[in-house]
Amino acid sequence: MINLMINNKSISVPKGSTILDAAKQNGILIPNLCYLENIHKIGSCRICSVEVQGAKTLMAACMTEVKEGMVVNTKSDKVIKARKVLYELMLSDHSKECLSCNRNLNCELQKLGDTLGVEENRFKTSSARHHLDISPSITRDLSKCILCRRCVTVCNEIQGVGILNAQNRGFDTVISPSLELPLNSVKCAYCGQCTVVCPVGALKETDSTQRVWQAINDPNIRVVIQAAPAVRVALGELFDYPVGTSVTGKMAAAMRALGVDDVFDTDWAADLTIMEEGTEFLNRVINVLEGKPAVLPMITSCSPGWIKYLETHYPELIPNLSTCKSPHMMLGALAKSYYAELKGIDAKKMFVVSVMPCTAKKYECTREEMMNDGMYNVDAVITTRELGTMIKQAGIDFRNLKDEKFDDPMGYSTGAADIFGLTGGVMEAALRTVYAILMGKNLPFENLHVTPIVGLEKVKHASIKLEGVLPKYKQFEGLEVKVAVTSGLAGAKELMDQIKAGVSPYHFIEVMGCVGGCITGGGQPRSDDVNVREKRMSILYTEDETKHLRQSHENPSIEKFYEIWGAPNCHKSHEYLHTHYKDRSDLK
Amino acid sequence: MKKITNFQELLDIKQEYIDKQSKYEFNVLVCGGGGCVSSNCHEVSLALKTQIILKGLEEKINVIQTGCMGICAVGPVILILPQRIFYTELNPEKAIDIVDRHLIKNEICTEYTFFDNAFQKRVPCIDDIEFFKAQTKLVLDNCGEIEYDNVDSYISRDGYQAAFNAIKGNNPETVIKEVEESGLRGRGGAGFLTGVKLRSGFMQESKEKYMVCNADEGDPGAFMDRSIIEGDPHSVIEGMLLSAFAIGAQKGYVYIRAEYPIAIERLERAIAQAREYGFLGENIFGSDFSFELDYRIGAGAFVCGEETALLASIEGKRGEPKQKPPFPFQKGLFDCPTIINNVETLANIPKIIRKGSKWYSGYGLPHATGTKVFALAGDVVNTGIIEVPIGTTIGDIIYKIGGGIPNKKQFKAAQIGGPSGGCVTKDNLNVPADYDSLNKIGAIMGSGGLIVMNEDTCMVDTARFFMDFIRDESCGKCLACRVGTKRMLEILERITDGKGEEGDIELLEEIGETIKLTAMCGLGQTAPNPILSTIRFFREEYKEHIEDKYCRAGVCASMFTSPCENTCPAGINISGYVSLIASGRLQDAYNLIMQENPFPAVCGRICTRPCESKCRRGTVDEAVAIRELKRFVSDYAFKNELPWKIQMTFPRKKDKRIAIIGAGASGLTCAYYLVNIGYEVDVFESESKAGGVLAYGIPEYRLPKAILGHEISLIEQSGVKIHLNTEIGKDISFKQLREDYQAIYVATGTQFPQKINIEGEELEGVIHGINFLKRIHHDPDFKLSGVVAVIGGGNTAIDSARTALRIGASKVIVLYRRTIDQMPAYHEEIIEAQEEGIEIMELVSPLRFIGDNKVKEVECVKMQIVNFDSSGRRKSVEILNSNFKIKVDYVIPAVSQYADLPFIGKNEITQTKWGTFVIDNKTMMTTMPGVFAGGDIVRGPEDVINAIADGKKAAINIDLYLGGNGILNKGEKIEIPVVYDNDEIVAHNQFEKEVLDPETRKNSFDEVVIGFHKLNAIAESMRCLHCERR
Repeated sequence: MINLMINNKSISVPKGSTILDAAKQNGILIPNLCYLENIHKIGSCRICSVEVQGAKTLMAACMTEVKEGMVVNTKSDKVIKARKVLYELMLSDHSKECLSCNRNLNCELQKLGDTLGVEENRFKTSSARHHLDISPSITRDLSKCILCRRCVTVCNEIQGVGILNAQNRGFDTVISPSLELPLNSVKCAYCGQCTVVCPVGALKETDSTQRVWQAINDPNIRVVIQAAPAVRVALGELFDYPVGTSVTGKMAAAMRALGVDDVFDTDWAADLTIMEEGTEFLNRVINVLEGKPAVLPMITSCSPGWIKYLETHYPELIPNLSTCKSPHMMLGALAKSYYAELKGIDAKKMFVVSVMPCTAKKYECTREEMMNDGMYNVDAVITTRELGTMIKQAGIDFRNLKDEKFDDPMGYSTGAADIFGLTGGVMEAALRTVYAILMGKNLPFENLHVTPIVGLEKVKHASIKLEGVLPKYKQFEGLEVKVAVTSGLAGAKELMDQIKAGVSPYHFIEVMGCVGGCITGGGQPRSDDVNVREKRMSILYTEDETKHLRQSHENPSIEKFYEIWGAPNCHKSHEYLHTHYKDRSDLK
Repeated sequence: MKKITNFQELLDIKQEYIDKQSKYEFNVLVCGGGGCVSSNCHEVSLALKTQIILKGLEEKINVIQTGCMGICAVGPVILILPQRIFYTELNPEKAIDIVDRHLIKNEICTEYTFFDNAFQKRVPCIDDIEFFKAQTKLVLDNCGEIEYDNVDSYISRDGYQAAFNAIKGNNPETVIKEVEESGLRGRGGAGFLTGVKLRSGFMQESKEKYMVCNADEGDPGAFMDRSIIEGDPHSVIEGMLLSAFAIGAQKGYVYIRAEYPIAIERLERAIAQAREYGFLGENIFGSDFSFELDYRIGAGAFVCGEETALLASIEGKRGEPKQKPPFPFQKGLFDCPTIINNVETLANIPKIIRKGSKWYSGYGLPHATGTKVFALAGDVVNTGIIEVPIGTTIGDIIYKIGGGIPNKKQFKAAQIGGPSGGCVTKDNLNVPADYDSLNKIGAIMGSGGLIVMNEDTCMVDTARFFMDFIRDESCGKCLACRVGTKRMLEILERITDGKGEEGDIELLEEIGETIKLTAMCGLGQTAPNPILSTIRFFREEYKEHIEDKYCRAGVCASMFTSPCENTCPAGINISGYVSLIASGRLQDAYNLIMQENPFPAVCGRICTRPCESKCRRGTVDEAVAIRELKRFVSDYAFKNELPWKIQMTFPRKKDKRIAIIGAGASGLTCAYYLVNIGYEVDVFESESKAGGVLAYGIPEYRLPKAILGHEISLIEQSGVKIHLNTEIGKDISFKQLREDYQAIYVATGTQFPQKINIEGEELEGVIHGINFLKRIHHDPDFKLSGVVAVIGGGNTAIDSARTALRIGASKVIVLYRRTIDQMPAYHEEIIEAQEEGIEIMELVSPLRFIGDNKVKEVECVKMQIVNFDSSGRRKSVEILNSNFKIKVDYVIPAVSQYADLPFIGKNEITQTKWGTFVIDNKTMMTTMPGVFAGGDIVRGPEDVINAIADGKKAAINIDLYLGGNGILNKGEKIEIPVVYDNDEIVAHNQFEKEVLDPETRKNSFDEVVIGFHKLNAIAESMRCLHCERR
């Protein structure tokens, strides 16, 4: 332990703590901005400057480790004055259009002004940056950027995508892809993790709410809406529920209250995905076992950020990707075919909206591969945050809504679908079904959770030995199925390099573009709770465990669907529920 | 090539090389420093070699290329051994001549040798040149002396012996200890103890360690490191080798900027040569120690001189600093312990190890040992690279080595430490150049850039320049530096653009302090230094820019029309009247001058003409003769008498009366402008004639009484009432004056001669300068005879001397305590005095006047020049036991004047200790309401043009005080013709004016200068470059 004094208070903290940690643990809050616990520590904003006795300059509390006998003052005259000037300087290079900003009242810079008590703004100068970059998923407004570089850290170190970086220097520095190219011309995965950490309105999802409002308010259009599993565990945060509150029923009610015609659940399509993807996997393995050409390991394809990353960085591994569309695309495709036929609706007059925890899905729904019968499967994707905004715009009193259910026939789901929203979930759901099909019994894990692939480690793996398979699948007898799971693109890079090097031991790999999976996707509410992942994750597991049915193949409405549709991986499935990918490595 | 493994091999190489060199009759060293390369030393070298071959002298003469010899301003240069003759400013023709005359006929070509400006003579031997004599070369001892491109040459100077002994001895401790005891401090800027650094590197436990040399020398105007690498690359390599051995590093990098292609090329070759001999690579000298050295080229970011940014750059990342701690010695390159030293520091190490710490610490100061290399640049005669013991004063560097300020300009400030440093002013010329002393005055030693600035430098603009540089070079990582420097620059830009606002200085200070306190790295933390430093020393100049929109140096172009007008205290439209003369409108030219100055004929004769010192024509050939043109038009106007009549457009303000005390230039000017805006003005003069010091202090031969009288009569014509023989306090009480008048302007000047306070000052025959001149004025028949000694160096002294000569003295000697070039009197008057036969004894000071009743002798002492005083001039002190006596008949002490007004008590009004009045600089009001003051009573003895300017400014302020709008009536606007000739400018010095010859003039009081002929005047006016055309 290290003993030091902060503001005349003797404290002791573990070795390696920073002044900021030490102060916080002892009830002293030091204002800070660029720092993001566990993620980003660079000391660029200097707001957390404190006075350390004997030091020539003020020290950045977020970067400075405590030392034995250190004497710190976090509120001396010098400190208060310097912080105010720094804040004024920061404001001077910021567009300050607060009232018309996406982050109004939800902005860390605004809050900081309040904390510092700044009442002056002596620099009447404009900002250096005024560039607006609108990609299908992400909008960058550089006039608001304060160069905290949180986005640079997540893009490079956490996601390993590495397209955002500081360009130019000094006052002309911008955070941007190289050569200040727009996002849509570079290898951006559109994961949107940058939009989650941005403290101001510089990075956000590209707005789709206007188009959705237009469709809702057009009486000739039938609006179908669906929400991904991860949305329900985070939406509540936008209405002041604590992190880790599930609001499934209120969410369904709110969506209906917006004025849409059908409220479906992407979870239903998740169960469907398992049927399609599980079958695809079994077929690939059978082909291999029979010596026919097939590519293993197979890699999941639900995460569009991940898909774009692979298409740009590992185009040679496209054959490894499952051809399944992501669940919401499947639902969209079926809404305009299966459902439209069922109800006798003109599919051309349908407008499918997906509420997603994801920004990459905004791009995904614009891909030309995601069309059937000349129509896009999904017409608009809004993020969880955008749904929250729409609910507020519509004047819906969210907290006082009564729980409602999703509509049939695409509203019922099993527990396996819920865990699609977290890392390891797709794999677990698939294993539950594949194992049951092959073995005729349930997965031999307590509570059906494949524990080795649960959690937040970068790369997780598991193997399941198949002993006593059903006679129908006797060629599988004795096979040890090896799977790997990763979330965050940095981990995916490791696994892909293994495949490229020909040393991958795996049969099946799940990749989620964002660390922790969709629960902390790029479209999810921003949270200052460092345990946000764990909390949202546990809710999804609870949802799963409390469901009556927990394996996708048991979903009766899926069974019913296949009675009409045919079988998984049938010709029609291939047309509507599967897709193909493109080499996009020519992007910069 | 064979790898060297024993000491004898090194000695053999050394001997072989020395033998080879000594075979030659002459060794011709051609400077191949960056400066000489730019001035085409290669052509000189080629010409030498060709001529030598043509004459068949290859066997006798050896031409070698060395590194920088230091005196870049006079390149290309060569040094011929063994006589050590130093030739400068060469070209191929001169080089051939040198071969023919010097190398063949053994005749020194004096006309190509170094010209010493201070002594105005050629100095052939390098060892006699003050620039070199005053230096102490430890680091640079090989630079300019050896072949940079030949490792044997370095070995011949005992190179690599230190490394051999240390590495063979296999004890890093010996190296570390020697460096620790030497007291060597980092030469890169902060001055951290090198020994401590090496030890902390050594103490780190790690399999991999790195040694890095910082050769990213980014300060504008600094090129010390470049010169060392270019001239003696092996000293840096050996320094790296020793340091790496000391800390246990296996790999090293020299991080060098891309802008140094010659240095990179030479370093690369030197590394290859070192590798061939086995000084680098595996098992060096056959030991277990291996060290690989490579270089990395920086892309030219200033911030990469900051160690953490430099390391990031070597790693191939964006060159941005990191927060410290951890320090590089803990976690540096590729996260391994890394020690970084700059080039100069490293180049010191081999010598310290070879010659010992005791030898090294014998140089410099106890807490800052050794020498420091400086790059001397800017407004100094000898620009280039110099090396001096730490602690040498800045003044000595600038004047002794640098040769002072060229073109007779005044020293203003020196920027030391580059854009991270601060400025050194006249007050601090005696400050020793060492880390701590410079820190105390807000500057830093930095890497050693020293930029000298003269009076023509605007300090606000200089601050803007440095801030512009830093803003450009800020990496953009931390807020404080990224935005702070930009905002500071914006404020500075608006100040220099004439848009400064009240509070800007304070805002600059506030942001500056915040950046210093909060920026992440050294670049940011020192970024505000030039601004804070210039504010500290030149706050007045900032204020002038903001409040008066005035740039005294004539740099900030938005604030003035032309440099001459900007410099004229009275603000005369100089380019305007010059244009009028050029177009033949001489009367209009006169009228235009009269708008701003009612004494054109006086000023046309005796003005100190600050305007001409700023004339841009001076950069082509010679300044335009502005004063002489003024005289010409006023003489013309008088000859063609068109009485000056002003249009009375202002209503009379009969109710307001103003009293002016003193009918000198200041009082009369004030009266003139006040009358012209309608006030009733009474001027009270105690003497029997108006004109003040113009009338009785300036001899007839410089300013004829008739001319002065004429201008005063014109002022009287405008309505000013002058009451002669009326002394305030005697004839009228000051109290009465205050009752009768609404405002009073005190412009009495300084009437009393300053005593020199030595024995015998009361003796008969001792007449103080101003009294002497006054006496001539009152008593035209006053005569002197015999030897007259005049004491002093100002105009009064020279006037007294020349007057004494004219009234009968057989011999006049001027005694001055400093040197002639430091005399404050007008240069041309000194020359004219000497022409008339007056003797000036410099470096002499009187001790006492000897005589019974009448003075007979002056006992003097010889003086010598030492430190600088606060005016930037060197002090002179007595040389002990150098007393001598001069026989004299009269002594005229003329050192200075002071004011003592009997009518105002010292307790009634705030005065300085010299008896001058304290006024509000803006309003010119004294501490007594309604009482204004200006001219010499405020300034002390000063130029007449300032007194006139004060009078005018006082008129404005008195009008404002009395409820007016402060706008003077200067008559009708005069259209200025455009006379600018777009044709090529043909060089031509000032046109001739007529002057009486010395023999004729020295016995009469006839005006010495007769002036321009009309044709010459018009021609002269056409020399104007018309800076107002923008």
